[in-house]
Amino acid sequence: MTPTNFVKSKKIWTAIALMLIVSPLFGVILADVVGYHEPLDVAAEAAGLRDVSEEITWTPFFDYGIPGLPSEVGYAMAGALGVAVIVVVGYVAMKVVERRRGGHGACLKAY
Amino acid sequence: MHIPDGFLDAWTASITYAIAVGCGLLLWKKSKRALRVEEISLLTVLSAAIFVAQMLNWPLPGGTSLHFVGGALAGMLLGPFLGFASMTLVLVVQCLLFHDGGITALGANVLNMAVINVLVGYALFKLIVMIAGNKRSSRMAGAFLGAWLGIVLAGLACGLEIGLSPSFGFYIDVTVPIMAGWHALLGIVEGVITALVVEYLYVRLPLAIPSLIPQEVVER
Repeated sequence: MTPTNFVKSKKIWTAIALMLIVSPLFGVILADVVGYHEPLDVAAEAAGLRDVSEEITWTPFFDYGIPGLPSEVGYAMAGALGVAVIVVVGYVAMKVVERRRGGHGACLKAY
Repeated sequence: MHIPDGFLDAWTASITYAIAVGCGLLLWKKSKRALRVEEISLLTVLSAAIFVAQMLNWPLPGGTSLHFVGGALAGMLLGPFLGFASMTLVLVVQCLLFHDGGITALGANVLNMAVINVLVGYALFKLIVMIAGNKRSSRMAGAFLGAWLGIVLAGLACGLEIGLSPSFGFYIDVTVPIMAGWHALLGIVEGVITALVVEYLYVRLPLAIPSLIPQEVVER
């Protein structure tokens, strides 16, 4: 792997893909079995606060779901969608920086 | 620790938005140099990895859950401004696409996880490595303690924000101890993961930790 381009690292993408594949186990299946909640939920309950997200939501992918797909599959697909959006934003930013610098990698390649 | 819509009143939401934007601008100005493509490349993969890692909710005995947050890790690898940018990218995608974290609470979530968590993690890591020297034990101790304190202070800030919304009454005496206390425990896991990742990358891929490369080498 060239030190200049982490985006091309197979190792990193393999790790991300593996995490995506096991994500429904942790995000959906175990969540249903154990019925757990975050400390924030505990604190909010103690303070009598109410989550209104579901009532006002704008997104079809609410809570990492894909309409029409079972939640186990949808969760991982939603994760892949999120990764794709991050990569597109990152790619555009890389292109902008590259254009400004006029070429890339010179300083770290020297190192 | 993503605050959803409905937990913050208009005042708290606006003030936290203003502070988060102000901190972002300040970090941008402070970074003072042109960005490099490699850094954005690292930012992209790190943001993707942190986003996915946050989807893995680990159950804890007693019905509580935790997931890796990663702000301190982003700060240690990317430095203050790009660490902030990386976490903000993750938080904005989570909020807009999946409504994970409220749109009214985005400012507070950015403040907690992209400012406090990133800066505290980065600063403590840098400080410990600077004082104790760049060796394995100090890198791991710095990464562990930075990540632990980063998550505890982020949790504490989160407790303050949800406990300080005047329209809903003041509950900081309840919310702060719950958030800080729990995150002092959860922070141990965050610290262990962060220390292992930082050390692994340092050994295998030292260029992934620009904050440990002497500045004169980078500028050359």
